[in-house]
Amino acid sequence: MVKHLIIGTAALGLVASAAQGADGKPIVIGVPIGLSGANSVVAPSVVQSAELAVEEINAKGGVLGRKLALEVADDASGAAGAQKAFDSLIYQKKVDVLISMETSAARNAGLPAVTKGRVPYIYTSFYEGHSCNKNLFVDAWVPEQQVPPVVDAFKAKGAKTYFLIGSDYAFGRGMLGFAKSYVEKTGGKVLGEEYLPMDGSDWTAIISKLKEAKPDALITSTAGGAPNVTLTKQLRGAGVTLPFANLALDEGTAKSMGADAEGVYLSASYVTGIDGAENKAFLAAMKKKFGAELRTPNDLSVPEYEAIYLYKAAVEKAGGTETVKVLEALPTVSFTGPRGTIRMSKQHHAPLTMYLGQIQADGTVKVADTFKDVDPGEQCPKLQ
Amino acid sequence: MLLTLDILTTAAILFIVSIGLLAIFGVLKIINFAHGAWLTVGAYCAVVTAKLGLNPWLALPLAFLVGAVLGGIAEHFIIRPLYRRPLDAILATWGLGIVVGQLVTLGLGRDVQLTPNLYAGTVAFLGVDYSAYRLVALGIALVIGTMFALAIERTRLGLSARAVIMNETLARSLGIDTGRVRLVVFMIGAGLAALAGVLLTPLTSVDPNMGVAWLIGAFMLVMVADASYLALAAACLVFGAAQVLISTFVSPILGSIAIAVLAALVLRISPKGFSRA
Amino acid sequence: MLETAPVARRAVPAPGRRPRLARTAPFVVAGLTALALWIAPLVLDTFAVNVLTRSMIYAVPAVTVDLLWGFAGILTFGQAAFFGVGAYAAAMILNAYGATPLGIAAALATAIAAPALLGLVVGWLSFYHRSTPLYASVISLVVPIVVVQLIYAGGEWTGSSSGLVGFDVLPFEIEGYFRLAALVLVAVTLAAWILVRSDAGRALVALRDNEARCAYLGLNPRRLQILLTAGLAAVAGFAGFLFANASGVVAPENAGFLFGTELVIWVALGGRGTLLGPVLGTIAIDYLAANLSGDLPFLWQLLLGTAFVAIIILLPGGLADLVGRLWRVLPFGRSGPSAPALAAREDGTEPTATDTSILKVQGLAKAYGSLTVLEAIDLEIRAGELVSLVGPNGAGKTTLMRCLSDGTEPFTGSIAVGGTAITGLTPNRIVGLGVGRKFQVASVFESLSVADCLRLARASHDGLNPTGRAATLGLPQAALDVLRMTGLDRRLPEPARLLSHGQKQALELAMVVALEPRLILLDEPTAGLTKAERTTIGRVLKDLTANGRIAAVLVEHDLDFVREISSRIVVLHQGRLVLDGTVEAVVGSELVRTIYSGGAHG
Repeated sequence: MVKHLIIGTAALGLVASAAQGADGKPIVIGVPIGLSGANSVVAPSVVQSAELAVEEINAKGGVLGRKLALEVADDASGAAGAQKAFDSLIYQKKVDVLISMETSAARNAGLPAVTKGRVPYIYTSFYEGHSCNKNLFVDAWVPEQQVPPVVDAFKAKGAKTYFLIGSDYAFGRGMLGFAKSYVEKTGGKVLGEEYLPMDGSDWTAIISKLKEAKPDALITSTAGGAPNVTLTKQLRGAGVTLPFANLALDEGTAKSMGADAEGVYLSASYVTGIDGAENKAFLAAMKKKFGAELRTPNDLSVPEYEAIYLYKAAVEKAGGTETVKVLEALPTVSFTGPRGTIRMSKQHHAPLTMYLGQIQADGTVKVADTFKDVDPGEQCPKLQ
Repeated sequence: MLLTLDILTTAAILFIVSIGLLAIFGVLKIINFAHGAWLTVGAYCAVVTAKLGLNPWLALPLAFLVGAVLGGIAEHFIIRPLYRRPLDAILATWGLGIVVGQLVTLGLGRDVQLTPNLYAGTVAFLGVDYSAYRLVALGIALVIGTMFALAIERTRLGLSARAVIMNETLARSLGIDTGRVRLVVFMIGAGLAALAGVLLTPLTSVDPNMGVAWLIGAFMLVMVADASYLALAAACLVFGAAQVLISTFVSPILGSIAIAVLAALVLRISPKGFSRA
Repeated sequence: MLETAPVARRAVPAPGRRPRLARTAPFVVAGLTALALWIAPLVLDTFAVNVLTRSMIYAVPAVTVDLLWGFAGILTFGQAAFFGVGAYAAAMILNAYGATPLGIAAALATAIAAPALLGLVVGWLSFYHRSTPLYASVISLVVPIVVVQLIYAGGEWTGSSSGLVGFDVLPFEIEGYFRLAALVLVAVTLAAWILVRSDAGRALVALRDNEARCAYLGLNPRRLQILLTAGLAAVAGFAGFLFANASGVVAPENAGFLFGTELVIWVALGGRGTLLGPVLGTIAIDYLAANLSGDLPFLWQLLLGTAFVAIIILLPGGLADLVGRLWRVLPFGRSGPSAPALAAREDGTEPTATDTSILKVQGLAKAYGSLTVLEAIDLEIRAGELVSLVGPNGAGKTTLMRCLSDGTEPFTGSIAVGGTAITGLTPNRIVGLGVGRKFQVASVFESLSVADCLRLARASHDGLNPTGRAATLGLPQAALDVLRMTGLDRRLPEPARLLSHGQKQALELAMVVALEPRLILLDEPTAGLTKAERTTIGRVLKDLTANGRIAAVLVEHDLDFVREISSRIVVLHQGRLVLDGTVEAVVGSELVRTIYSGGAHG
């Protein structure tokens, strides 16, 4: 198998053969994901948590007596790749459900295939919100859930003026757009809102503007990976020491950024430091299964794990994998996982417990505050 | 003041990034689209240096060496057969860039790599707190520019290179081994690009595609500069200033395409770009 | 000429009177292909139908890349931008107005018109007098970058990075889209096939081969290139419209620079300049990518990149070239060359009375920086004259010829042809005034046949057939004489690159004569020719001017030749006109002897 040599992580999409139970055909879960391209940094951790969920469920007898199987397909983190990956999974591999995190462009590109192919799709990535389709469910956060903890915390520390910096793309603009309205609603003032193209790497002029505006606090929302690191490095290089919240920062990136990330605030529905039995059991199981190969679980990989359990619950409730019945069941079932109890009951989105964290000198995240069951707001009023 | 420093340091960084491309374009008349890949390779030299626990500055000679060696190999196998097909050379070097990017990915992973800062902190400079590294980069650009000028004006290789630039047929008939000049210049160009990759690490993340973001800007600057390093310096200053000013006073998004668009217009109006002046 | 890859040269079979079967063959093949593709969805699975639909849509812009790059020699990354603009125009309009008949019509019209307009702008930017192929490629790189940036900045309108999804589309099932895409691809490929095999298609290759010669044949290379860019932008935009409908989603990467390079990679691997190569290459690679890249994410890119580099270096003609070579080894793969029949055409110009002033130069001066090349030149040439321009190397003869034929050369003073000042006029417009120029080094279209070279020389008078090949080639009697005297009339189907040096000179002369110029400029027409060839050319020139219709200016070193044919001799020395008189007066003059023995100063 060439794949092992290439990807290094075992069993990408290969669980299928092992999972074939005696009780008939396995239930196949399609995972279209950016193994290459922008999402390739985080994708392996997502695949790992999917593999753990499938292994755990199969070990306990599967779903309605059927085993689960994974089919992973690379979408190159982009729209054209996603079209191929979704087509391949839906029409070629004939999966029963799609569960994955994606870029917004890839998710959108896949939606027509999801609709035409009539499969349920659980989207497990936080995003800018308002993506509505009757086949689509989301178990990760939207701006309405993530931004208020940050702004409230800064406000409590006395911040009145804010500066917003982001990458020019749907997520960056969506997050900061909401942040701006929330800041203004709570009596604060936004001194500037600046964007650089996603592949831009020179933040010089924006940083100079920031320094001249002299705000009380800074909120950034860049594209993940390179732009995030680049902006943080250049901010630190320019000696910016404001209270600084990074809406696009995940624990793993924070850890690798070292001293540059120290003191930065992040807001997430999952951090490894969550003090709960489910989380500890999950982390232990991940460590046991993957050992040295383990990619640190994060706010993108844990929702994948939980979504597979949510799908299991929906299939059990529906009495089968028939799409219409599963879609009916999905908003009503719940699962208690590392992030607490998740139920996608609000217009195909899920109320979530949010954590405000601050990066420590050693790169770990210290939970500064917890916000219980934050509502996702009006995401898809047409879908009840 | 802040604005002046921004312009100067931006120009310096642009100069560092594009000088290697200029060397190759000037002498070989070939657009090296693998330039981005050499930048990436250089940046990964910084990553490796850091992993080995060496002084981060040691990455500079290492990157130059690695870049030059890889450049030599590329020149021999890919560039040499395409001297008479410059448009094909663009494509082949672009393909080479893809290959190098994928090899880096397969060998060192897709992850964003972090490197220790070459020079951290800020300094108070004429009344503003300014990033110390950007000022260092300004100095480095001046050093590289001076050394490049000395190499061109004062060395035998520089003389040969200038002869090849002016009239290759004549140079060959005068007994200059133009093939060797091309090889050496390509190696130096690739080495300089790798060096630039190291110098970028304090400003950017390191990942297998990092070079592509810098490629187009460098490419446009070199087109405007034609084969002259002085014109390149002027172009970096003018377009760097345009980028900073547009970013500051209009929009950073427009600022980020300022170099490409303005350079294209300058070339439309004056095909020889800045080298005419 | 920058690009010399020997690709499209042999891609086009011999022109001329082919049997009926050969002429209808493309239509039959296209019809059968369309029929097969119509049936295909019945046997293919849904996955293949879906993926192939997109692959076939991508193949349409790939065909346009092939026309631009493989035939016209313009390496472009910009077709992706036009495709993207078409796709976004369609998606945005369908999003706003829905798939009502009016909405669809508006979407279709905009998806074609917007890229065409953008194509005009890009063409204007890319092509101007003395622009280089490299510059056009540079612009084609910038365009997708700017377009993508605009899409990102478009907010709600364009959906920014997420693209647009969920808009109404044409009411087809996936099989319907497959058939639609197949029909469009077959139609576009067939149209391109007919175009490149027509007389007008030869102009594309001529542009690639020798742009300067095109201009000096009175064709406007810039206009051709700009129109080609705009027209093919419209085709790419139409493909974008199909894409938006068939996939139900558009994303910034559909317009991006990377997609532009992908198109080029597909065309290169398939075989540039072959049309079918790029079409099959695009479909095969894109389909393979859908099947493999999901499993081998990084390795796939690595393999594709390596294959691309290898093909560019080792097999510039791509896989189609390889197949073509094998094909021609087979006995039935070779078709005999054929050519149109020559016909004499009535001389179009009214005989001008001898003594009419054709060229008038007054106070002409030209300098490169501080170096003065020409100074105070006054010269008048009348119909029926054959004026030789002599002088030692560096006297400014060639520079003077260049000034006479290219008004964009910076000079001072005035030059008028038939009373019209030429200052600022590009060469093709000066050709329009009746000036034909023959270069020192024979400038013909190396990839084209002798007949096609001559056909292009007539293009500014007779136009070019865009759908087929004319069976006859009408030339002025003088041009026919040149061909007969030099034996070129028996070599019409042969590619010009196979001609001897002297024959190329004769061909170029015939091409210039075919323009029916009033003034013919000849730069060392006899250099490197045999005695016999020289005599022939001399006779042709004498005959041409003898009937008093045209005048000729000849730069020549061979004083014996000059003496034999000239009616008047002008001596240039160090940029000045030092002597102007009859053959006897000049040849006998002391000054000329001194100049040629290198004794004169000042």
